[in-house]
This record gives sequence, C-alpha cells and structure tokens, in this order.
Amino acid sequence: MNLYHNVRAQWLAYLVFYLFLAAVPLVVDDNFLLNQLSTYGVYGMLALSISLCWGFGGILNLGQGIAFGLGAYGMAMTMQMQSQDASNPMPPFMLNNSLDHLPLLWKPFANTGVGMVLALVVPTLFCLVFGGLMFRARVSGPFFAIMTLAMLSAWGTLILDMQPYTNGVNGITPPAPLHLGEFTLDPYSPTAYWTVLGLLVVATVVAKLMTLSRFGLVVQAIRNDAERVRFLGYSVAGYETAIYTISGFFAAVAGCLWVTLTQYVSPAQFDTTFSLSMVIWAGIGGRMSLMGAIFGAFLIQGAQSYLGDAFLNTWLLILGAFFILVVRFLPKGLIGLVESALGRLGRKRGHDNGGSVPAQQMLPQPGE
Amino acid sequence: MTAGSFFTSFDLSAFINALILGISIASIWLIAALGLTIIYGAAGVINMAHGEFIMLGAYSSYMLQSSFGLPFALCVPASFLIVAAVGLIIERGLIRYLYKRPLDTLLATFGVSLVLMQGVRLLFGSDPKYIAVPPAFSSNIQFAFINISVFRVVVLLVTIAATVALWALFYRTRFGVQVRAVMQDKEMAASFGVNADRVYMLTFALGAGLAGLAGSLFGVLNIVLPTMGAAYVVQAFLVVVVGGGTLAGSVAAGGATGELQSIFAYFTNDTFARFVLFVLIVVFLRIRPQGLFAPSAKRR
Amino acid sequence: MGFFEIRDLCKSFDTVTVINQFSIELVEQTLCCLVGPNGAGKTTTMDLITGRQKPTSGQIMFCDEDITGLDEHEIARRGIGRKFQVPAVFRDLTVKQNLEVACSRSTNPVKNFFRFREPVFAAKLEEVLALTGLGPRLNTEAGILSHGETQWLEIGMVLMQDPRLLLFDEPVAGMTEQEIEKTAEIFNRLKKTHSLVVVEHDMAFVKQIADVVTVMHMGSLLAQGSIGEIEANERVREVYLGDAED
Repeated sequence: MNLYHNVRAQWLAYLVFYLFLAAVPLVVDDNFLLNQLSTYGVYGMLALSISLCWGFGGILNLGQGIAFGLGAYGMAMTMQMQSQDASNPMPPFMLNNSLDHLPLLWKPFANTGVGMVLALVVPTLFCLVFGGLMFRARVSGPFFAIMTLAMLSAWGTLILDMQPYTNGVNGITPPAPLHLGEFTLDPYSPTAYWTVLGLLVVATVVAKLMTLSRFGLVVQAIRNDAERVRFLGYSVAGYETAIYTISGFFAAVAGCLWVTLTQYVSPAQFDTTFSLSMVIWAGIGGRMSLMGAIFGAFLIQGAQSYLGDAFLNTWLLILGAFFILVVRFLPKGLIGLVESALGRLGRKRGHDNGGSVPAQQMLPQPGE
Repeated sequence: MTAGSFFTSFDLSAFINALILGISIASIWLIAALGLTIIYGAAGVINMAHGEFIMLGAYSSYMLQSSFGLPFALCVPASFLIVAAVGLIIERGLIRYLYKRPLDTLLATFGVSLVLMQGVRLLFGSDPKYIAVPPAFSSNIQFAFINISVFRVVVLLVTIAATVALWALFYRTRFGVQVRAVMQDKEMAASFGVNADRVYMLTFALGAGLAGLAGSLFGVLNIVLPTMGAAYVVQAFLVVVVGGGTLAGSVAAGGATGELQSIFAYFTNDTFARFVLFVLIVVFLRIRPQGLFAPSAKRR
Repeated sequence: MGFFEIRDLCKSFDTVTVINQFSIELVEQTLCCLVGPNGAGKTTTMDLITGRQKPTSGQIMFCDEDITGLDEHEIARRGIGRKFQVPAVFRDLTVKQNLEVACSRSTNPVKNFFRFREPVFAAKLEEVLALTGLGPRLNTEAGILSHGETQWLEIGMVLMQDPRLLLFDEPVAGMTEQEIEKTAEIFNRLKKTHSLVVVEHDMAFVKQIADVVTVMHMGSLLAQGSIGEIEANERVREVYLGDAED
C-alpha cells in the first residue's frame, strides 16, 4: 500500500505542515516579511480552491479571479467606508469623479457586517448562477474554461469602465486597516499572519473532508466520466455547480483576506495572467493534491519574489517553460514525484513481506 | 438605462455608420478566429498561444519592414510563412504528445504563450512598434454620410479572401477531404490510409500561419506590443465557441457578435457593450451549448 | 398499464428515421433479448429509454409513469440501470470506489456533503462481489483491470444501483467462453428478481438466457416471441440471410 494514499498519513502531513507554518512568527521579527508570508497564505487558499475545482472535479476554471476580485472589491469597499463619517460621507475619489452623493451600490457597505457578508455572498452567488447556467447546458471541458476566461475579461472591463464607482484603473486603497468593533487587524503583525493561516487550515480541513465524503467521490467520478455518472442517477450539473461554487467561495474568502493584508485592490486582480497563474501554482504543485497545490503557490510566489528581482526579465520565460515541462511530463505535478517515491518504497516493503497481501489486510496501519 | 436616450439621440446616418463599423469589427474578429477555428475543428486543440501567434505575425511584419525594407504587401504573406513555421515547430515538439488530453493542451499552449510573449519582450523590448503602410491605406473613404478607413476595407477583403481560400481548401482538395475525415473519426480515417498525424501537423501550422497573417494586419490597426495578443484572443475564442468549431459557424458567429458589439456600443459605450455581449453569449450557450453549426457528436 | 411499455416510438435525425413506430411491452421478472442486424436501432432504443437521446415522438412508460423525455439521472433514479457497449468505468478510482459511486441511494449533492458512507453499501458489496468475483481486485484502480474484469465491474456497478429494469448492451462482447458461461449464470439468477433487456449478437448466448426475443429491423419491430418461435419465423430468416449475403 502506498503511504501517499493513506488518509491518516495525509492528516498527519497536514498537521506537521501547518504546525511548522504556525511557528514561523515565533522566529521571524520582520513584520514586512510576515505580511508578505501572509499574502502567500492567501495564494495558498486560491491554489486550494483551484485544486478542488480542477484537480478533483476536472473543471478547469481560468476565471477564478472573478470570485477573488469581487470578494476583494467588496472588502475594500467595506474598509473604505470605515474611514468615512457623517461629515465626510464619500470616498475622496468619488469627488474627483464629480459624484455629489454616495451611490446606491456603496450604501450597504457602510455597515461593516453587511459589507463583509456581501463581499462573500456576491461572488458565491455569481458562481452559482453562472455555473448553473453553463453546467445545465452541459458546457464542459475546454469550452467551460474559455467561458470563464471570457467572463473574467468582461468583469475586468466593466470594473475598469465604472470609474465613478470603482475608481477605474487606480482601484481602491482603504486608508486604514480593518476594524472589527474595538479590534484592529494590523496587516503587519503576527495576528494577521495567524488569522490567515487559521482560515487556511479551516479551508484545508473542510476541503479534505469534502473530498473524502460521498460528494467528493461522486465529483471525482464525474472527472473520470461525467456521462456515466448520469446513468447512475446523479445530477451531474448539480454536482458540478456545487464544486464550482464552493471553490468560488474559497476564492472570495481569499480575496477578502488579501485586501485586509494589502489595503489595496484594482482591476489588475481581474487580469487573465493572475487567474492563469493560480492554475499554474496548482498545476506545478500538483492539482490532485490539496497540499501539493498550496505548496505550489508558496513555491512559485516565493521564487518570484526572491528570484524575480535578479531574473525580472526572464522570470516569466522560465515559469512558462517550467510549466510546459510539468504539463508534458508530470501531470500530477511535483507532488507526483513524492507519490511515486513512496510507491516504490511501499512496493519494496511489500516484496519483503512475501509479495501479495490479501486486500482485506491492506487497511491503513496507524503510525505508518 | 438607454430607453430614454434612444428616441432623443437616434440618428440614422450614425447608426448606419455603426452597422458598417460592425461589419469591420466582425471581419477583424473572424480573421483572428480563423486559425483557432481550424485548429480546434480538426484537432480539438484549444490553442491558448493563438494571441501570441498573432503578436508574432505583427512583429514579423515589423521586423521585415524595418530591417529589410520589405514592402507591406509582401510582409503579410511572409508573416504567414514565418508564424506557420513557428507553429510547426511547436506542434512537433510539444502539442503532438498531448492530443489525448484536451485540457492539458490548453495548459501547455498557455505555457507556450508565456514563453513567446516574454521571449519577444526580451528581443524587442516593451516599447510600442509601428508598421508603416502605403499612404493610400491610411486615408478614409467618404461616401455621402458613410465614413470608413481604407485599411479597414483592406482587412475586410483579406478576411473574405482567406475564408474563401480555406473553404476551397477544405471542400475542394484532397487534403480537405483528409482533414474532414480525421475530424469525423480519426481511427476510421487512419484505417483508410489517412495519415492523421500529418493532417494534425499541417492544420496546426496552417492555423498558426493564419494568426500570423491576422497579426500583420492588426499591427497596422493598432500599435505592436508583446502583450497585444491578449486583446484579440478572448473574442477569437468566443467566435469559435459560439460558432461550434466549424468554418461556417465561425463566419456566422463572427458576423453576429461583431455586429451586435457595434450596435450595443452605439447605444452605450464599447466596454459596456462588451459586457452585455458576453452575458448574451452565456445565455445563448445555455440554449444551444453545441454552438451554431456543430458537427454531430461521435456516438459511444 | 404495466411494468414497462414503449408505444409508437420514433426517432429521426434530420431526414433519416432510425426508429420507426416501435412498440414493445415487458413483463416483470423476464429477460428479453433485443436482437437484429447492424443498424436496426437497438442501441438507439437503449439511448431513448435511458434518456441519452430524446424521441421525436412516442411514449415510454415505466411503472405506470411516463418517463419520455426525462433527463438521464431522473430515469436512472426511477430504477432503470444501464451497462454500455464500450465498458464505461471510472478509471482513476479503485474498484471499491467505483462500486461505492454506483450505490446511489442518496443522490442529493448537499446531503452527500455530510455523508461518508452509504448505509446499505457493505451488505450490497458482499452480494455483488459474490456474483462477480472481483473481491481480490477491490483496491485496484479500475484503469488497469483486464477487459473481462472491466466488463464485470460495470455489471457490478449496475447491480449496485439495484434497478428494477436492467439494460445490457452487448455484455459478453470480448469475453472468453468461461466468462460467457458465468455471465449466463448470473443473468439466469438475476431474472428471478429483476427484469432485464439484453442487446446481443451471440445467438448461442441468447438461447441460454432469453425468455422472450424481440427482433428489430430498420427501426421497427419485426417479430417477438420465444426463441423457438423466432427461429421458425420466415421473415426473421429473410432479414438475417439477406444481411449475410451483403
């Protein structure tokens, strides 16, 4: 039995991985570095959402930036409104765009609670409606990917174009960090780091449980052969819409976190390159593995920050070439190497035990 | 939001100009989509590097013109050949290993697009380049209240010529019969002695060449930049998706979407028109997911 | 009103009529073999029954309910299971997972979110393993099974569904003599509790299992009856001999 497929070993790996990450602020004093590491956590959550949708569900989503960006805009609007008061009811950029009162679109965001809920609900609802329409019509595979790309570019241009409401290409830069009652979430603090990490842990656990549930099993069956699943009595469109929407919800959470960390959002979050790089993270790390995808995001974004300065011009060239190699030779990503290494190890031990073991005895052993 | 302004601002001559502009937009989208259509139609490959092939076409024309002083009329076919050769190399080196994994070809070609875009940026820099055309092309045609630039008419004519040539290739030559046989059923075609591998290779090169041809024209319509491909590729994809991956479908879809874009833009503005058009396409696919003219699906 | 009935079923693609005024009726707990020359419309009939294609006109009734034009999953939920001509299993999943997916008592995505196992699965699994003998391969990925084993797995999946009506499209294609023997045994056992429709070319196999034989030709019903009646039927002979001369 390959240790890689052992569910207990997988939980153990998550535990070690996250304990290690949780300990980082204890040794890192540099708050700017911590802030940067926190944003990696956000990217990790995005990669996780891609892994759920694409790795497990087989639905390639090239427009995850929609959910991320809408979530980010919602959060930015909420944080911006926290800096406005009765004497100064409108964000400054609106005055520059000659609006004379706060637009209706912005009013709900005056209430922090409502604003944060909207920041999560709007993108999720979008995924539900768009996914529902597409999957019911049985648009799938490359065609669905293209449609997500088209929707992404439509949203990007729309937000760019609604200058008086969104400040166009400049985006929104809330002047103060997020307050929740008395509490202020300083983006340059261990608290912010642990908040992001905590939510990433929750997301990972939920996602992992989901893949282990019957829902996850059916979704993986759909990835293999959607047509066959229909004849077993499952509504494929329902399952596809569900996994796409859940994945979009995770991306929306990531979008909210990202704005609290950077205090900035712009139409650049709707760039196709950004959405496609999420797919690259998951693809290089290993789309079929939640941890592989998260690790891929850390690896690529980390490399981009540290090598990027030195190789600024060639970075995308290297990344593109590396990605081509992974797609061509390592469809399971870098984590696939771990899988085959552990598989070889397992086989060797299997031979020592005298070869074939009856299937019933091949249950996971604790402590493996 | 436009119902009120509709009656007050409706102006027939401007509207007819918008319709004519629509034809021009349609021809641009169609020629951008032609290469994509035949690559998708014949081999089922979604080529994400198509935009970069267009960009390469523009840079080829720029280079031939500025370094070798080639006249523009010769740059266009030369760009076709150069980009077709690039396409051929990429097909042989990468794509042919991935035909059985459609989503992976999409991703691999995305990797290719990154490499091409960054490679061109390293070679030529990020500053815009311009392609010069004979002065006759840069004027406008005035006819009563109709006003359109000569070069847009040139693009329209090239698009029509390329479409007719493709149609003739597919329906009037032996190669065309082979391509259509492979499209219908690869195994069956192979058993009749059609070399599917060679058909895929040549279609991919042809599709890339068409992108190069489009690029050399777009380089004149707009400035030449390493990132210019992205501006055309989404529309080109939509034309293929709405058309269903056939040549006739792409012609109809290109015409319809281009015209609608121009009409919506007449009543609102360019970006809002684009948003409405995309939403309409989503709704259209809900009703007709296989596109306008789809080949019948293979039975299990 | 009966268990299963097809009335005046028609299906045409553009100008070509594939199924033309086809009607049959099935009695519960029988095995009906659907035979006919190539292009007679057998697989299309299967597609129409299971909702893979929508009929141009006509009616399909199942357990006193009109199921014409319903979606595939709705028909499957009403108790019609189908095995495909080309075995279709989930290649990345293990044999056990394949059977687990097929054990589709609860199909709601939201409810399945909170379910980690199907209560009836264990009992059902034992039953299916006893029939198909896939026990030793339980943790093997379905993608690396042999052709015969893949056929067994798909038969097992249909059984897991526990449908009232089972449709099999050429179940013994590519099987060895012994495997065909075993399949016949299973079918004969199954028809005591279930209703089956089997599309088959292998007449020796049909003789072993069929209660009723339905012959299709050019999309219509040519003859129906016991195997003896069919063998004696002049028109059936004509069609088959005519076909053989081509």
